[in-house]
Amino acid sequence: MPHIFRIIIRSLNFYKKPVIYQVLIIALLSAVITGSLLTGRSVKESLKKSASERLGNTGILISSGVRYFDPEIGQRMKDSSGIICTGILEMKGYSQPLNSQKAVLNTHIIGVNKDFFVFQGFDTINIKAGEVAVNKGLADFLGIKTGEDLIIRFTEISDIPSDAPFAPASDAGRSIVMKVGTILEPIHNGNFSLSISQITPMNIFINLPDIEEDNGRPLKINRLLIKRDNLNTLKKVSEVLKRDLRPADIGLRLRRVKKTGENELISDRVFIDESLVKEIIKLLPSSAPVITYLGNRFDAGARSTPYSFVSALPSSLYPETAAGNGMIINRWLAQDLSVSEGDTIKMFWYSPDSLNKLIEKNSDFVVKHIVDMKGIWADSLLMPDFPGISGKESCSDWDAGVPIKMHEIRAKDEDYWNRYRGTPKAFISYETGKKLWGNNFGPATAIRYPAGVTEKEIEDKLNGSLDPDKMGFSITNLSGDAAKAANEGVDFGTLFLSLGFFLILASLVLLSFAASSYFDSKKTHINTLFALGFKNKWIARLLFFEAGLISLIGCFIGALAGYLVDIAITRALNTVWTGAVQTDTLNAYFSPGPIISGFILTFITIMVFMLIKVSRYLKRLNQSEKKNYKTPSTRQNLYLLFISAIVTISLYVFSLLLTDQQLVFSFATGIVLFLTLVLLWRQHYIGISNYDSEIIKNRKQLSRKYYSLNPSHAITPILFIAAGIFSVFITGANRMNFNEKQMKRSGGTGGYLLWCENTIPVKEDLNKESGRKTMGLDDDQFKGIRFVHIKRSSGNDASCLNLNHISVPPLLGIDPSDFIEKKSFSFSKVLRSKIIANPWQYLKLPSEKNTIYGIADQTVLDWGLKLKPGDTLILRAENGSPLNIIIAAGLQSSVFQGNVLIGMENFTKFYPSVSGSSVLLVDGNSNLTDLYKITLNERLANYGVNIEKTSDRLASFYKVTNTYLSVFGVFGALGMIVGIAGLGFVLLRNYNQRRHEFALMLATGFHVKKIRRMILSEQMLILFAGVSTGIISAIVATFPSLKNNHDMPWLFMILMILAIVITGLVALLISVRSVTKNSLIASLKKE
Amino acid sequence: MLSIKNISKSFIQRGMVLDNLSLDVVKGDSIAIMGPSGSGKTTLMNIIGLLDKPDSGDIIFRGASIANFKEDESANYRNQNIGFVFQEHLLLPYLSISDNIFLPLLATKHSKEEISAKEQYINELMIKTGISDLRYKYPQRISGGEAQRASLVRALANSPSILLADEPTGSLDAGNADKMGELLLEMNSQYGITIILATHSSDLAKKMSKILHLEGGKLIV
Repeated sequence: MPHIFRIIIRSLNFYKKPVIYQVLIIALLSAVITGSLLTGRSVKESLKKSASERLGNTGILISSGVRYFDPEIGQRMKDSSGIICTGILEMKGYSQPLNSQKAVLNTHIIGVNKDFFVFQGFDTINIKAGEVAVNKGLADFLGIKTGEDLIIRFTEISDIPSDAPFAPASDAGRSIVMKVGTILEPIHNGNFSLSISQITPMNIFINLPDIEEDNGRPLKINRLLIKRDNLNTLKKVSEVLKRDLRPADIGLRLRRVKKTGENELISDRVFIDESLVKEIIKLLPSSAPVITYLGNRFDAGARSTPYSFVSALPSSLYPETAAGNGMIINRWLAQDLSVSEGDTIKMFWYSPDSLNKLIEKNSDFVVKHIVDMKGIWADSLLMPDFPGISGKESCSDWDAGVPIKMHEIRAKDEDYWNRYRGTPKAFISYETGKKLWGNNFGPATAIRYPAGVTEKEIEDKLNGSLDPDKMGFSITNLSGDAAKAANEGVDFGTLFLSLGFFLILASLVLLSFAASSYFDSKKTHINTLFALGFKNKWIARLLFFEAGLISLIGCFIGALAGYLVDIAITRALNTVWTGAVQTDTLNAYFSPGPIISGFILTFITIMVFMLIKVSRYLKRLNQSEKKNYKTPSTRQNLYLLFISAIVTISLYVFSLLLTDQQLVFSFATGIVLFLTLVLLWRQHYIGISNYDSEIIKNRKQLSRKYYSLNPSHAITPILFIAAGIFSVFITGANRMNFNEKQMKRSGGTGGYLLWCENTIPVKEDLNKESGRKTMGLDDDQFKGIRFVHIKRSSGNDASCLNLNHISVPPLLGIDPSDFIEKKSFSFSKVLRSKIIANPWQYLKLPSEKNTIYGIADQTVLDWGLKLKPGDTLILRAENGSPLNIIIAAGLQSSVFQGNVLIGMENFTKFYPSVSGSSVLLVDGNSNLTDLYKITLNERLANYGVNIEKTSDRLASFYKVTNTYLSVFGVFGALGMIVGIAGLGFVLLRNYNQRRHEFALMLATGFHVKKIRRMILSEQMLILFAGVSTGIISAIVATFPSLKNNHDMPWLFMILMILAIVITGLVALLISVRSVTKNSLIASLKKE
Repeated sequence: MLSIKNISKSFIQRGMVLDNLSLDVVKGDSIAIMGPSGSGKTTLMNIIGLLDKPDSGDIIFRGASIANFKEDESANYRNQNIGFVFQEHLLLPYLSISDNIFLPLLATKHSKEEISAKEQYINELMIKTGISDLRYKYPQRISGGEAQRASLVRALANSPSILLADEPTGSLDAGNADKMGELLLEMNSQYGITIILATHSSDLAKKMSKILHLEGGKLIV
């Protein structure tokens, strides 16, 4: 007695050909699904590998952001806790071979000590003095070889923020020429980077001593790398850092004031952060902040004294100081101004405004006391150590960072300087001084202690007690974060499953046709089983088991072939589709997880599909055996047709009336029109009156009679072809090409012409005459040019060019006034508010409890940050405090992609050390765009400027979307090929089912050519119906895009549609040619 | 044993095929139903085998109405009581003759003893019908007559009480047709199987105990 499985095996063996078709289709399906999942894993693994390669042995990063610290802390941590670490100085700059014009504008400069490569596990790599090591990426790009000279330019390294009051005016940057000693491969940590991005950095490794300045002080660092080690947890590192941190590490120096016997803490940054002052006062309540400032002049009646220092002193240490507007002045000043106690004097000074720009302010003070220049009133150490002022022999040598009117400095002033240096001439209360001169950089220039508090006491209290978080340090588990960012980044598995959806659908449709065809060929056998008393369930089980076995084999082959798909996709992503990933370092990984998942997912999908298919097939078979033909209801179809036509017209009217929603309504109109046209074709086929009530008058009616009983045999291919063409059209219409609309104010460029990015920030205000003069932009032709100055903090690019999930994007500080005035840019989503009318206004709102508003591109919010308006992005301010950024709006695709925009005032408040504009948006006469570009390139060459047209920048973002659309197009084309194969199956099935009909026609005198023509014409009508339905509905659906998209790839679309039509025709002709006289006669004999 | 009471059946395409038709079948009967093509012979056979349902009327089998059996009940009825022989042998081409014959046993569960008894019985039938040497051959490799005899053994595999044969000799040559007729009679006489056959062949019909003519949807003796 045969076992059911023997029957199944025999049956499959007997029907080899149709079984192989099904196995191949299932294998294709499984390969696409598994390949997509494997690609997802491969991209993630590649990102992790590249992150690991970039980080080397780095596990935890201690960063001081834009500030610097003493490398000694590393040694101390190593000594106390055995933590292996190395310090680096990370900078941005640009590089250029000495004998070439080619430059890398975004060079990643890493100042290293000798132990860096040892730390990374490469003991043999050694950079000689005067030489640099570069990574292969940079060497290849510049075409530079070892032994050649390289110009490296970078921002001057200074503790004092260049926007801080009285910081010396510095050059745009510093240039050095070094010899390329080594070219490092990625495996030798050549691609070292602390950024989370798959894009290969352009690295230069340079010995720290080679960039030390001549002042004798060892260079500070800004990053401390902690070796990856399971024992080195974030908690442990944080505790060790706190324990070993000393004030000197963050530039705080303790010194003794001989004149007063007091000790004081002063900072290398001159101003001491407010959070630091508070922390120190908390630890040592006797701490008393002092602020000493440079006054431009004192006026008393007609008399005036220029450039004098004034100290604001705490009453706890200096009880004599007068509160409010009371002032103590020294006798020298009193004599110079000829004032006595009770007189009023006016003081003028430069004060940084909310944007750190110095503006002159003044205030009246009443002279409370006049003191002799002795004791505490003759303390020259009260003057901060302004690098441009301290130690200068003469006032005329000052580089105070503010305009000094030299002609106002008299001989007696020079004499005072020579005798007393910066000894303050006036004293006010600390509270008043803080109110007048406290700024974003801090409210104190020193912290003083009463004479009784010893140096040791202060050190004991502060050493190991300062909270690193509040000192501006951030401690991150970089290796963990990089792996997390890769894991949570763009999911290529889902992405490719979505892109391949049409191919998957086409494969399923094809499988349906193939399975139907297979079942049809088994029809007699199934009927026999039925007649032998087998229950439907048993027969269904038999067919289902058969399908299961076919699926198992297909899924298994496909799952393995998925690896080939993965290889093909990753290769394509590294080459032709590199626009989507911006790297060529992706590798295909053979991972069992996705293979098993793909296998199971495909198997379950197919089994569910086959379960439905088998039960429906048997149901239909039972009905047809009982001759229970049900002619489809024309009335019901007409009713549906009428409703869908009404909905189509209504949606079309809405699309005309609601112009702001035109895109959505047009698309909906197209979709419903698609349905209407399909129903119209169905009506055409079933519309012929009842089967037995009309005499067939011609061959066309004969065909329609067949389709009136089997409308799905015509409608299924129509649906398939139409859906294919519809998707081709939609893909083409959605290709994002740059057009004139984007150059409008409301477009993605905001109407601006150029986007300039400088490696070295531009400090001049280019909208002011002085700034233009400095930059040589004072010609008449530049009169119309306007700049939007943008500051930028460091962060990881959150644009679609970065595949990782980014949690710390760069912030752009921007004054939105120009955007508000010009109505620049458009928004996708906005945080609704009754008070704020224009979303840009949010950026002007002052901070409240470290909370501000931000704006980003909607794509950045959706994909990069995974946030929506109203959500809060938590970053860290420069001083380490948390900065809450409430997302106020999402911009429509714009030039700002990859960044989060905040107001300039808030930016300067929370990132005061970031000075100058790293980005400039240029507006002006669009006819002069090229001239602007050439000129700015030339004038800003020293700043490492990269200028691109805003249109080009926007187009580079579109490239990613367009690459995905290309992928979709390729999968769509493959889907269409599968679909055309499906059409072949339909034709074959229709032909087999009607073979007897054709045989009888032959027997009754029809010529075989006529029969062929009849078949051909009816199938061509199906092809035409599919093509026309697809084209018409797609044109309606994409009408607004077609109208506006002048760069619509018409040629590509026409060629695709032609390819579909021609392939369809070829398939038809081939299948019709198989209708031969002999095959019909054979059928007739059986009949 | 089987009583067909006033059944009618019509098709949209063909109109009324069976019209208030009645037939009583006694155990051991051998009935030939003759009639022109399209007279409804196959329809009647399908209705008796519960492959189709009458529009009206009833079918009584062993005292119980079976006309409104559900699908599963119909399948059980066919498997246990009915054996079908068609004009075409309808052997599954991918199974050996032996497997084809044993196939009906798979439709229901059987104990080992039952299977053993069935095997003995089937072997006996195969010897009787002269196909015992063909058991490992495939349908494509044997003649039409042999295939039809195999289909007869398959129809009898479950020891049905009624054998429905629809034009069983329709595709056979005279010699094989004659041999098939003899076998049917032998099964009827030796195993007491009731035979109802539809045929155009008067030679075959004459071998049956009753000959009925189906005309105008009614049976005429």
